[in-house]
Amino acid sequence: MRNQLTRIILILAAVVLSIVFLWPTYQDYNYRRQLNALHGQDSVAFLEQHQDDILNAKLKRIKLGLDLQGGMRVVLEVNILQFLDDFAKNKDDNFNAIIKEVRAETSTGDASVIPLFVKKFQERGIRLSRYYGSIRDDDAKIATMLQDEADKAVDRAVEIVRNRVDQYHVSEPNIQKQGGRRIIVELPGVKDENEVRQLLQGTAKLEFRLLKDPQITYRVMETIDKYLTGNLEPDTGAVKREQKKEEVQKPKDALSELTGGAAPEATDTTSEAKVQREHPFFFYVRPDQHGSGDGYVDAKDKDRVERLLARPEVQKLLPPDFAFVWSAKAQQFGDGIKRYILYAVRAVPELTGGVVVNAQASIDPEDNRPIVNMEMNNEGSREWARITGANINKRIAIMLDNAVYSAPVVQTKITGGRSRITGSDTPNEARLLEIVLKAGALPAPVSIIEQRSVGPSLGEDSIRSGLSSTLLAFIMTVLFMVVYYNSAGAVADFALLFNILFILGVMAGFQATLTLPGIAGIVLTIGMAVDANVLINERIREEMEGGKTLRAAIDAGYSKAFAAIFDSNITTFLTGVVLYQFGTGPVQGFALTLMIGIVASMFSAIVITHVIFNLMTEKGLNPNFG
Amino acid sequence: MRLFKKTNIDFLGKRHFWYLVSSAMMVVGVVSIFTKGIALGIDFRGGTELVIAFSQPVQISEVRASLNAVGLGQSEIKSYGSAQNLLIRSTEQAEGTQIGDRIKAALQKTFPDQKLDVIKEDKIGPKIGKELRRDALYAVIWSMLAIMAYVAIRFKFTYGLGAVIALVHDVFTTFGFLSLLNGVFPQLNLEISQEVIAAFLTLIGTSVNDTVVIFDRIRENEKIYRSMPLDKVMNRSLNDTLSRTIITSGTIFLVLFILLIFGGEVNRGFAFTMGFGIVTGTYSSIYVASAFVFDWSLLRKKKA
Repeated sequence: MRNQLTRIILILAAVVLSIVFLWPTYQDYNYRRQLNALHGQDSVAFLEQHQDDILNAKLKRIKLGLDLQGGMRVVLEVNILQFLDDFAKNKDDNFNAIIKEVRAETSTGDASVIPLFVKKFQERGIRLSRYYGSIRDDDAKIATMLQDEADKAVDRAVEIVRNRVDQYHVSEPNIQKQGGRRIIVELPGVKDENEVRQLLQGTAKLEFRLLKDPQITYRVMETIDKYLTGNLEPDTGAVKREQKKEEVQKPKDALSELTGGAAPEATDTTSEAKVQREHPFFFYVRPDQHGSGDGYVDAKDKDRVERLLARPEVQKLLPPDFAFVWSAKAQQFGDGIKRYILYAVRAVPELTGGVVVNAQASIDPEDNRPIVNMEMNNEGSREWARITGANINKRIAIMLDNAVYSAPVVQTKITGGRSRITGSDTPNEARLLEIVLKAGALPAPVSIIEQRSVGPSLGEDSIRSGLSSTLLAFIMTVLFMVVYYNSAGAVADFALLFNILFILGVMAGFQATLTLPGIAGIVLTIGMAVDANVLINERIREEMEGGKTLRAAIDAGYSKAFAAIFDSNITTFLTGVVLYQFGTGPVQGFALTLMIGIVASMFSAIVITHVIFNLMTEKGLNPNFG
Repeated sequence: MRLFKKTNIDFLGKRHFWYLVSSAMMVVGVVSIFTKGIALGIDFRGGTELVIAFSQPVQISEVRASLNAVGLGQSEIKSYGSAQNLLIRSTEQAEGTQIGDRIKAALQKTFPDQKLDVIKEDKIGPKIGKELRRDALYAVIWSMLAIMAYVAIRFKFTYGLGAVIALVHDVFTTFGFLSLLNGVFPQLNLEISQEVIAAFLTLIGTSVNDTVVIFDRIRENEKIYRSMPLDKVMNRSLNDTLSRTIITSGTIFLVLFILLIFGGEVNRGFAFTMGFGIVTGTYSSIYVASAFVFDWSLLRKKKA
């Protein structure tokens, strides 16, 4: 009896957990339906009103694979050989011949480029130091250095791609480094392939831009704030009162410290809604209290602020040669909230990245702080001396593809082209800056080696056929079980319902991606889940024929069938694991649903049905095994 | 309802006849694989594949002429789902997505009034194709090894060996079957794609599932009927599990049939491959895996 109780608790817990996990998916579906029903201003207002909830639901729902929602998957490979070619100095005929040979040999094979490249030089008795490093370095040292530089080039390419995709506003992009030199980019819902391809392959643009005077910046912000106060009401007016409750949850202490005197009203916690109404811009963009002119924006508000800034009327308020740009990454502040920084810069860059020859992250020997050393060519050095000389104590933003990575203050006039950038908080930050600075000088050439795109219409078709086949398979199986096993079959069907709930719940919990083959996996699981019940029911029939009472036959059936169910499911699970290891994309989706399905079906087929049979026999409703 | 009364079939007695059938099927399959070959899909061959929806129906010959003009006349062109959707595939390789762009440009030029919608575009570089082939092979081999190890540990080593021999049998006959039937039904695309490899691995899983259920019954019956000779015990176990074997395989087969008809273009190859695999998998559990275990024990007895 005790056992029975534990089982029931276990089942209820699994059901509750599944529903909790599936809730955001349901919410997301609802929001989408409501959004589709609205038009124009209404839908904007709806979006404003529910922004946080929508985002939250979107983040936690079951994700649809590219094959179901349409989109692009691109695999980029960094062309190491091209990089070695660009990186070399004093190239001659010998060098070019070797490059050509290595290119031919690596275009189809998997051989690693650098060892092969090095071997070719050694075979001909040519020292690598003729082309790389300094004359005293031996081959082994240069080979290590080349490998190191090549790895860095890949990191650079990843950073450039990530930065661009972030700015392109794809919802839920996925960027992954695969192996040594590949980058997988998945962009759901993207339609314009050419645009994306340019986005991924174009040369990175490194710029140095002067920051605007903080006072001017603050004045511009004020103007925008004032303008919005009068003009925000129409499309979001209805919204604010409802939103008040959520906004109160912000950590106020931290905010007040951050905003200081700049937006004093914000410190009064009870009047947040009032602040939002009276200062719609400063409510989201909090100016730095030290008067640097930077604006801090909570990561979740970035889209909202961007929408505000993108309004044509707001754009008209900006003075000439003035642009708002964002920091590339959101920073974690002391209060645990991630914020982007909004910078105001001159529209025209002072210098562009071609002049940077080298950059190196290191540690300042004096105070052990991470620093980045930057080197420029002659032409750049002259310009740099002029720029830094004229702007001492002002800030210069280092920007890659329109995102700010650092905005250091100019300390002195820098002549000779060697600059030292301090102020990075961690060695990782310094390394990132090194990557960015090098992106202009040493591009990492990437080429597309795999591209798959699925149009949204095919995705819809796939969902429809996937759902209809699942439903049909389910109905057929359910009918068969009832016909063949009578009320015991109905019990198994009941468990099957839970099984599907569990599979979806676990998928949502893991935030797994549902693909079309994944749907096939679920359909297949339906077939296999029935197997456990078939094994059990056949066994119970046998035991009853052997003369046991119903109650005894049920218990014997479950205990004897267990070994077979367990062993046979484990073997199928093993193939699922292998499939997950070696498969890519959609096939992995299949393997995942198969594995989840096996576990869920063992639970529902063994535990749930047993509990129900026990309950039935206790109540005297003897199940009929047909 | 009950389809099977208590049966008492002498499965093992007829095993030599079925050995012949199995061998014949494998030979036919292997011959077909070597003569007719296996159609590899774009994933494993590399190249560019486009599915384009035309706003009005077009003739395949016109499309071919159009592609011929840009030097891609060798491309494979066939309808995809409906007459307005065409699948165009070229194994030509070029930097990036140039081939796809060339095809799209050529078609737009030939059919200037039509709106061309790219439903699907895949470009697989030569290296990727090779890697996917290698990974697929590894996946099949590793899963078999994992299964052999598990069955050998849970039962006996010969059982593990028998299970894997049955799996090799399933894989070869299914491969042969795909090779034989490729091109016979124009609606059915039987190329080896990643989904078909997934089908192979799943059929390995379900086939061994069947085998394990039988082995489990043999293990149990051996303990109950200690004095019974092995062939009697095995026959009895096969009969005991027969009802379950047929019903389970039947339900999975039914589900796959539904998937084949309604599951959409992508799942079709999967459902077909696995449907055949379920049949050979069920058969091989009895006449390959169990029969092997029996003959092996006979051999050991003779030696002793």
